Amino acid sequence: MNDTKKREFALGLVMLCAGLAYLFLTFDLPRKGGIDASFVPYVLGFFMVTLGAMQLAAARRMAVASGAGSATNDVEAERVDYTTVLRTVGLIVAYVALLGYVGFPIMTALYLYAQFLVLSPTGRKVNHVTYGGIAVVAAALIYVTFRFGFDLLLPAGLLG
Amino acid sequence: MLDLLQQGFAAVFTLQIIGFVTVGVAVGIIFGAVPGLTAVMAVALCLPLTYGMSAAAGISLLVALYIGATSGGLISAILLKIPGTPASIATTFDGGPMMEKGEGAKALGVGIVFSFLGTIVSIAALIFIAPSLAKAALSFGPHEYFSIAIFSLTLIATLSSGSMIKGLFSGVAGFVFATVGIAPVDAIRRFTFGQTDLNNGFEILTVLVGVFAISEIIGVAEKVRHEGDIVTGSVNLRAIKGFGFSLREFFGQMPNAMRSSVIGIGIGILPGIGAATSNLISYVVAKKRSRHPEKFGTGIIDGLVASEAANNAGIGGAMIPLLTLGIPGDGVTAIMLGGFLVHGIQPGPMLFVTQGPLVYTIFAALVVATVMMLVLEFYGLRIFIRLLAVPKHILLPIILVLCVVGAFGLSSRVFDVWTILLFGLIGYGFVKLKVPAAPFILGFILGPMAETNLRRGLMLSDGDFLGFLTNPISGVFLVLAIVSVLWHVIQAWRGRPAKARNASA
Repeated sequence: MNDTKKREFALGLVMLCAGLAYLFLTFDLPRKGGIDASFVPYVLGFFMVTLGAMQLAAARRMAVASGAGSATNDVEAERVDYTTVLRTVGLIVAYVALLGYVGFPIMTALYLYAQFLVLSPTGRKVNHVTYGGIAVVAAALIYVTFRFGFDLLLPAGLLG
Repeated sequence: MLDLLQQGFAAVFTLQIIGFVTVGVAVGIIFGAVPGLTAVMAVALCLPLTYGMSAAAGISLLVALYIGATSGGLISAILLKIPGTPASIATTFDGGPMMEKGEGAKALGVGIVFSFLGTIVSIAALIFIAPSLAKAALSFGPHEYFSIAIFSLTLIATLSSGSMIKGLFSGVAGFVFATVGIAPVDAIRRFTFGQTDLNNGFEILTVLVGVFAISEIIGVAEKVRHEGDIVTGSVNLRAIKGFGFSLREFFGQMPNAMRSSVIGIGIGILPGIGAATSNLISYVVAKKRSRHPEKFGTGIIDGLVASEAANNAGIGGAMIPLLTLGIPGDGVTAIMLGGFLVHGIQPGPMLFVTQGPLVYTIFAALVVATVMMLVLEFYGLRIFIRLLAVPKHILLPIILVLCVVGAFGLSSRVFDVWTILLFGLIGYGFVKLKVPAAPFILGFILGPMAETNLRRGLMLSDGDFLGFLTNPISGVFLVLAIVSVLWHVIQAWRGRPAKARNASA
């Protein structure tokens, strides 16, 4: 099974599981009889399960039609840098988690600096002073603009 | 109507709003021009700036961003041969070859002028069609609204993607997330897991920013470390007169421009398919109708005109269902809807009754922003070309921070920031699994509209579902919804290989 077929099959499973999980949660909703607040969730849940089953059937058909073991016809041979993706998501999670405690200006400057480093192109010399400078100036500029220019409350944290 | 339009222009012609429109168009052009940045991102990022503004100023800024971003894609489509937005894909077909032939300045001039024309024609259509449609929609009740929502959902799900199953799933998934919070009519809490933050459900803006902006940023992380520097083509703007083409060429292209504008408006009105599709369809139609179809793709202005007039004409088209029915047709209009709601404006037919002057201020802002686009794009081209080279690894983290500011600014809750991350990951998952994101957003927006009107409609017809079919307008839309799904199913079945059909027969 090539990557496309695997992806289509995985999507079918995700759809089916999401539908079943949603239906399971819908069972807990209080019923008032007739068309009540649980009616639409039941309809949506059944729709999701049906679409999931249809997707699985389509993925199976695709595998049968092209024959088992034909792993050479996958067009997408793209190289994906999942390490950078995971690091980026991790940085965003840390940024959001600490935003309320450390405050917007400090946390933003730290996040920007770290994110510049993570996304920095390979094979190019990292200029820490430039990255640090841009991070601090951008964080300060955004904070001052929104806090004082547009009167938007942003968590001050340690500086508050 | 003329009085209201005059009032609208008077409201826009203040130093403050003209300033916002200028900045909005300029920022929009940058977002449209830089591949990887989108019109949705531009509107989403600038939304927090509008929180403290008057409704007229805030909405003027948003429409300016929309116009700038839709048109800005032509800059990179011609100079880099990379469409800045999907709306400019067909612009690369002839814009790129023209650039190679040393006619870059002419290509930019043609693109800019016919973008302008397409937008103006579509705004004229909006000004004439929207008030009449709104008047007709005033008589709509729950039955009609339910059916229109269902019709729009099926249309979006079936037309916006290659796979009907994925499109429908995406729309249903959006609807599912919209069921979180207090239910309409009987006010029961659903899927809140005891979290008070979830009582009001997810904020529409956090969903939009997450699905369209955060997912894009996460997606760029996949390849940004291995990308080279952007090399832009150079154009000599000093050597050209006017916009770089003759009056004869201009008038010669008018039938093509008008036809393409009509295509753009028509496709823009339909939910689910917007400028990303209209530029391609318009290009194909222009080629078929041309006396010299073999020259398309070799660097002639006909192709450029078709693409640019059509994609920009989608702006006025997409604004028609948004303003008259409160139904957004694509991601940008969905986030515009969010912008309206932030300012306490509920788009729909009543908007024309209760806030008529504001509607005409929006029309005036669209016209002023279009003129500003023409001026800025031509005279500020050198600056925009330079901005194309800003490294993404610097730009995207700053954009993420602005998204965080926008989400936090909605209700001063870190919860909303977590929400954009959640929907960002969902959006990224959609990209990886090739599920279209637009139906998700529209399911999220139209779902509650459908549910609320279903419940109200049933109450009006004593629980009888037949009321939705016997009501003429509602019945027509429900039949159209069924036809749209069946048509897609038949198309998909016909597209299956004969062997597979025989096997299943």
